[in-house]
Amino acid sequence: MRLPVVDRLSRVPVPGFVRAAATPALETVTTYAVAAAEVLDRLATQAIAEVVRRVDLDATVARVDLDAAVRRVDIEAVIERLDLTEIVLKQVDLDRVVNEVLDGLDERQIAALAAKVDVDTIARQLDIEAVLDRMDLTETVLKRVDLVKVVDAVLDQMDLIALANEIIDGVDLPEIIRESTGSMASETVQGVRMQGIGADQAVGRAVDRLLLRHARTNGTPKS
Amino acid sequence: MTAELPRGHIDPIPHEARPFQGRPAGIVTRLVAAVLDSLVVGIVMTATYLGWCGLLFLIQGRSFTFPRPGVFFGLGLAFGIAFVYLTAFWALIGRTYGYLVMGLRVQRRSGKPIRFVGAAIRAGFVLVFPIGIFWVPVGRGNKSLQDGVLGTRVVYDWKPRPVRPRLRLEDETPEIESPVTERPITESPENVS
Repeated sequence: MRLPVVDRLSRVPVPGFVRAAATPALETVTTYAVAAAEVLDRLATQAIAEVVRRVDLDATVARVDLDAAVRRVDIEAVIERLDLTEIVLKQVDLDRVVNEVLDGLDERQIAALAAKVDVDTIARQLDIEAVLDRMDLTETVLKRVDLVKVVDAVLDQMDLIALANEIIDGVDLPEIIRESTGSMASETVQGVRMQGIGADQAVGRAVDRLLLRHARTNGTPKS
Repeated sequence: MTAELPRGHIDPIPHEARPFQGRPAGIVTRLVAAVLDSLVVGIVMTATYLGWCGLLFLIQGRSFTFPRPGVFFGLGLAFGIAFVYLTAFWALIGRTYGYLVMGLRVQRRSGKPIRFVGAAIRAGFVLVFPIGIFWVPVGRGNKSLQDGVLGTRVVYDWKPRPVRPRLRLEDETPEIESPVTERPITESPENVS
């Protein structure tokens, strides 16, 4: 065991004989002092434990004026040191809280809340294209729309006869029928007729020139 | 000019001929039609002659010789056959075989089909004075001399058959009239000038 007093004594500038004479005495005294200190320390620990055991803390706290103590606490400083948001998110069951709130609302209160909401503003902020992209409109139409009624309504507004005539005129159905059922004779006749018309026009123009007339229009289409 | 078709009807006329539908026909087409009709008359005359020969052969037996009709008899027979042929076909369907091949139709100035009496007078006039057709390119509106006198006209009509009967009563409903005859060719300012 190291003795602090003896160590310090070695640093004191005293004559050697003094140190030699005092050292044994100091070592003995110091040994006793250290032992006494250890004993005292153990006694003190046991005494405190005994005191604590014997003291009724509840009765003691009951005798304390906690209100006065709390009034002296700087609540603002305490709150500033706390991360309340984190505490709420971690410790509070928000779903339950919201459900409790919603259960407590009646229709009138909900209507009042809804009336305060500017739906137009919200709608303007919506990305309609994105919403539409996420929707399967074809499937929705096929499931939700009565296509028979829609088609009937469209057909009611259409002139099918005129449309059919336009299509027939566009594909030249008579020509197709003639080509599929006609003979060489009919094609020959058609050619002779067209050549005849052409000859009629040529003769007419020639006679007009001879007679110094303006171009005739008889037998000649305007377009 | 193309006539408007009733709803639900298909125009059987080819596209390239539609602009001419209902317009007065020119000299070449009408001459070709006349030649074809002459051939028809010639064929009928030949058939008549052969039929007459066959009948004589049955009657005369071994003494049969081919008859040699005179020129005037032949011309008279041709005139008669042509007259009946032209009158009947113009009055019945408005066109002879030649007109049918060339896509022509004869009609009144109003666009209505000519009647039997009109067809007969026109046939007689055409046979007596056939060169009247050469007035077509000279006159106004592609009218021949007969057309000008009798108030008829010959138009391009490629429709395959007459839409309404030729010999109908005047008070019949015209609801099945040909679109061409419903919309007669009117004299345009260019035609008159």
